[in-house]
Amino acid sequence: MNASAKILLRGSSLLVLIVALQSTVAASVDDAQSFALQAAEPYVKEGFQVREDYWGGDLGSGEKKAVRQQLFKGNEYWFWLGTEVERAKISVHIYDSDGKLAEEPDGWEKGHFAAAHVIPKTTGSYFVIVNVEESPEERTHWALVYGFR
Amino acid sequence: MTPFTKYLKLSTIAAAGLTLCVHGAEVPQRIDIKQLSKTVEDVVVPLPNEIFGALNKLGTVNWKEHVRNDKGTNFTERPRIALLLGTVIADGFIAVQAEDAPTVKEIGQRVLALAKGIGVGNSITPHAKAIIEAADKRNWDSVRQELDRTQNSVQQAMNEVHDEKLSQLVSLGGWLRGTEVLTSVVSKHFSADGAELLHQPDLLSYFQTRLQAMPEFNLPILREIGDALVQVKPLIDVGNARIPPKSVKKINDITTRLGSGIVTRD
Repeated sequence: MNASAKILLRGSSLLVLIVALQSTVAASVDDAQSFALQAAEPYVKEGFQVREDYWGGDLGSGEKKAVRQQLFKGNEYWFWLGTEVERAKISVHIYDSDGKLAEEPDGWEKGHFAAAHVIPKTTGSYFVIVNVEESPEERTHWALVYGFR
Repeated sequence: MTPFTKYLKLSTIAAAGLTLCVHGAEVPQRIDIKQLSKTVEDVVVPLPNEIFGALNKLGTVNWKEHVRNDKGTNFTERPRIALLLGTVIADGFIAVQAEDAPTVKEIGQRVLALAKGIGVGNSITPHAKAIIEAADKRNWDSVRQELDRTQNSVQQAMNEVHDEKLSQLVSLGGWLRGTEVLTSVVSKHFSADGAELLHQPDLLSYFQTRLQAMPEFNLPILREIGDALVQVKPLIDVGNARIPPKSVKKINDITTRLGSGIVTRD
């Protein structure tokens, strides 16, 4: 094989590897999102409009992340968290801009699903804390969707 | 945005977020927010109808008077098309609030034309069709859902071709139009709760940061929006204080002027 062919072959192999890696990673976050949407499904019947946009990423076991979200007084919100790692235990909680727990008591955690409910007392920024409490995986993909009515 | 690009973007947000230690299953009643990053690296920008829904609960709004039928100018500059696209989608939500089926259908067509103008028409065609069909059936929840899907698809398609900045301009256009209508409604029938819906300082900071990162889009309208956001910031960033009628009126003047600038040629 001449040098050009070798370079072409190596380049192609690298490209295939990158594409394969991208597909694997993307599929995991997409899977996490589909589980989050699955958790949201029953609430659609109750009049919640679930947003198309979402947050996502990956966390190690015992790690938390915070994201900030603008909420409006008068609306009612549910945040649904999902992961494709079935044996993971995850949670989601919501705090106001003073750092005070702002959620309703009917939030829930069921293995690789979790949800938090908030009826904002004021309009402004809130912090949504996502937690992978336990997971058999080194990194656990998560996705968070929300709905309002 | 491809899933992987989105993943990368979201990972960046996550990286900018806070990694905390696990304190066990008990939910802390309070967290130290000073530990959290003050930077809004990325946000899910609220849809206009998220604000309109809250506004509706404060009293009856005559949405028909806010419906806009003007098709606007045909721009060739992609940033201008992106801004306009955001405002037209917001107009779609207003027309849905007004249950104005003919306008919703026109907006469906307009959104498609603008998306084509910016090179992402293919991803919008099914949504535009769904908007028109749902408007025919007066299925307003479906129209709302399709408008959200439209905006999401436009932005994903833009991000796929690394046009994230244009995607942000779509969000900005929608936010400005939503704020224009919100302040118009609240100015006419002032209530402290209505004015409180303007309390969005982090979102405004987010848009300011994004605009500052677009020096290559050397357009007067973007400079005008940047200057206007500087004026609006102290009016809505009032902490626990109430936003007075005078501020609401001033924000309405500013956003109305910007709204007019977005739909007309310089």
